[in-house]
Amino acid sequence: MEPYKNHSGLLTIIKLLFILLFGYTATSKLIHLGQFEEQLGRFPLIHSHASFIAWAVPTVELVVAGLYMIHRFFLMVLYGSLSLMIVFTGYILTVLLFGENIPCSCGGIVSSMGWKTHILFNSLWIALAVLGIVTLQKVKNGQLPKNTT
Amino acid sequence: MKSTFLKLILPAFAIVLAVGLAFATEETTSSSSQTAYYEHPVLGLQSVTVGNECQDQAGINCTYNGFQLYADMDTSIPLRKQNP
Repeated sequence: MEPYKNHSGLLTIIKLLFILLFGYTATSKLIHLGQFEEQLGRFPLIHSHASFIAWAVPTVELVVAGLYMIHRFFLMVLYGSLSLMIVFTGYILTVLLFGENIPCSCGGIVSSMGWKTHILFNSLWIALAVLGIVTLQKVKNGQLPKNTT
Repeated sequence: MKSTFLKLILPAFAIVLAVGLAFATEETTSSSSQTAYYEHPVLGLQSVTVGNECQDQAGINCTYNGFQLYADMDTSIPLRKQNP
């Protein structure tokens, strides 16, 4: 069985899922910008930049979601998505490690997850980004037939 | 045509859907639920979404996995629900 037979469809699904994720969480953060800033302000390492980060995170998420629409940036944006998810997961792990009393600063219904569930959730997105990068690299290297993605 | 649909229209639709979902779930959560907090002995302060039946009132303690729920991050306002 050809493992990447439907790689074009797979890449499209990955693209749409990341657009939905970043579009949703960015909008939710912007709706509750004050609350998001307050939660970031409770974290010792970044509290002095909470105001900037509160704007920067949803802005970057929206830019990444928008760049998914430009096909030539696809690989770059997948790397960007992977980096963002690693940074978010790193933040969660740091909070757990420091044992700070900080509730989740994520957007929308994602914030109702516990920290451990959130790590699992982020891990799945990291795996999805890696899968997209590997598949797209194979297409670019000619190991898979070039197709519309 | 199919390529344009996949490359442009579908992602644009996904963005609109994401923004719409964010507002839709916001309205749903704000009207029927609230964020409550509890002190976990290992993980520290945790947040959880609970229904609006839990309020700052007399009644049965609202708990999550056995932990008392509070309305605020300082865990000074315990949440309770009225007897059924």
